[in-house]
Amino acid sequence: MKNVVTTVLAVSAAALLSAAPASAQGKTLTISWWGFNGEKLESIVLAPFREQCGCEIVFETGNNGERLNKIQIRNGGGVDVAYFSDSFSQQGIEAGLFQKIDPAKLPNLAGIYELARDPQGGYGPAYTIGRVGIVYDSTKVTTPITSWNDLWREDLAASLSLPGITTTAGPMVVMKAGEHAGVDAFADPDAAFAAVEALKPNVVKNYNTGSEMINLFSTGEVSAAIAQDFTLGQIQAAVPTVVWAELAEGSIATLNTVNIPTGAAEPELAYEFINFILSPEIQQQLAEQGVDAPVNTSVTLTPEQAALWTYGADLIAGLQRIDYVQMNAAKSGWVDRWNEIFGM
Amino acid sequence: MKRFAGWTLASPATLLIVVFLVLPVLATIVTTFTTPGGPFATYAAFFGSGFRRTVLWRTVQVSLATTAVSLVIGFLTAYVVSRSPGWLKSILIIAAVFPLLTGVVVRSFAWLIILGKNGILNSTLLKLGLISEPLTMLYTQGAVVVAMVYLFVPLMILTLVGVLEGIPDDLIQASASLGAKPAATFMQVTLPLAVPGLIVGAVLVFTGSFTSYATPQLLGGEQVMMMGTLMYQQAMVTFDWVAASTIAAVMVVITIAIVLLMTRVARRLNPMAV
Repeated sequence: MKNVVTTVLAVSAAALLSAAPASAQGKTLTISWWGFNGEKLESIVLAPFREQCGCEIVFETGNNGERLNKIQIRNGGGVDVAYFSDSFSQQGIEAGLFQKIDPAKLPNLAGIYELARDPQGGYGPAYTIGRVGIVYDSTKVTTPITSWNDLWREDLAASLSLPGITTTAGPMVVMKAGEHAGVDAFADPDAAFAAVEALKPNVVKNYNTGSEMINLFSTGEVSAAIAQDFTLGQIQAAVPTVVWAELAEGSIATLNTVNIPTGAAEPELAYEFINFILSPEIQQQLAEQGVDAPVNTSVTLTPEQAALWTYGADLIAGLQRIDYVQMNAAKSGWVDRWNEIFGM
Repeated sequence: MKRFAGWTLASPATLLIVVFLVLPVLATIVTTFTTPGGPFATYAAFFGSGFRRTVLWRTVQVSLATTAVSLVIGFLTAYVVSRSPGWLKSILIIAAVFPLLTGVVVRSFAWLIILGKNGILNSTLLKLGLISEPLTMLYTQGAVVVAMVYLFVPLMILTLVGVLEGIPDDLIQASASLGAKPAATFMQVTLPLAVPGLIVGAVLVFTGSFTSYATPQLLGGEQVMMMGTLMYQQAMVTFDWVAASTIAAVMVVITIAIVLLMTRVARRLNPMAV
């Protein structure tokens, strides 16, 4: 019996000692993100950052909507660093969930593309950049797609998938429909939605998640879709003949941002982390290993590595930008009108 | 004294239900009456929108269709099962329950593979030369009903087998000895005595399909939006919690109303049974 007690005491003491460095720092950084690429992010970002800060890191995972809802329920608390796609971070900003950023605390901002430094009026920077464009199966769509207007082509009848209105790219479809009709969708939504309605015969199903759209390609339900470029690799893994359309008008830029919620318990640690992920070394590794396209201008990639990404000053300069303030303001009215077209 | 003991024993469960079910539901419903626009503004907005009325009507239609088809298939199957010898009965029940061992998402996903453009059904029909172009079956109301029937029939069978087994053979024999043909015995003896099971089954299937989310999401999408998927959209994507609560309140009221209606119809059919 005595032996058992001694053993228990010894084990407890050992456990206490081994936990000592963490409790000495006593800090825990909570990150809200999607939970994709877990292993790569652990080795590239988390392990070295843990070593640098001597802190613990915990996570909240889920899609944009779910995670933003959780932060909102807690009035901006519970999370120190929040990863969101830009349309959702804009919603968070408008709901007052994120702090203004002090650029002086992020020295690595100087090394990233201008459009990524402060995309949303004083809030978190973007750590990666992507494109919304058109992908299509080149064996089924024999005339290449070269313009947003091609979506309305008759040969695409019953073969298209659009992003649902509630996703990042959904409202962009309405804006493109406006351009197709020759109007600004914000100024003349009636004409824009008439064009969306004209697109309906080509639509099989709209998707809400990237994996849903990839499924639609792999089961042969669709042969073209409006998509974000980070899904292209996975679509091609399922259907190798799917290609990214080179659009005359250019693709649309999307940024993924990192913000510090208003109720963050460790804001200084959050600044340290954000600065860390914007550093040239981390951005280089994330790009090389296929995790995120870089925003740091000093990252250099081989043509093969860059083929995956929205990469290079020229390409980035050619992207179209979205005014998210205007888009989110219009969004709730647009959701109903969209539903009336696709859901009736 | 006996009564007091009953209440005491029931109190932990009652407390749990009140704290974790009744109060949250009340809190959800209260938020819909306390908007700046006045107590009924959110309901006026809900019923004022043609789209929302369509979604509600579609949900009722799909749920009633699912319930009706499940009742017929479930009753016939349960009848056969309950009249089978012991060993066969066990095998049949296991076969009926087998789909319940996999999740709702998996069972709905199976229908994506069966009903798809390049799916099993279309390719078979094409091979047989019955059609020349693949039919559009996915993302339609029909696809949602088919998948929900598949989901809920096991539940109906399980409910009914127990009830049908409980009908004493003596009654059937008495009916036959009094000159009733098998059809008359079925209509006048078996069916009325099975009404309680039919009602329980119908209520389970109706509420299950009325509130379903995964199946309409996978097999219907935006094109066949139902109350569950609309509520998800309002709560999780447009962050309009009041609108989502309104949808929830409408769903609660309609579910209760239809369940009461079903019980009432059942009572009329068979005053002894309920």
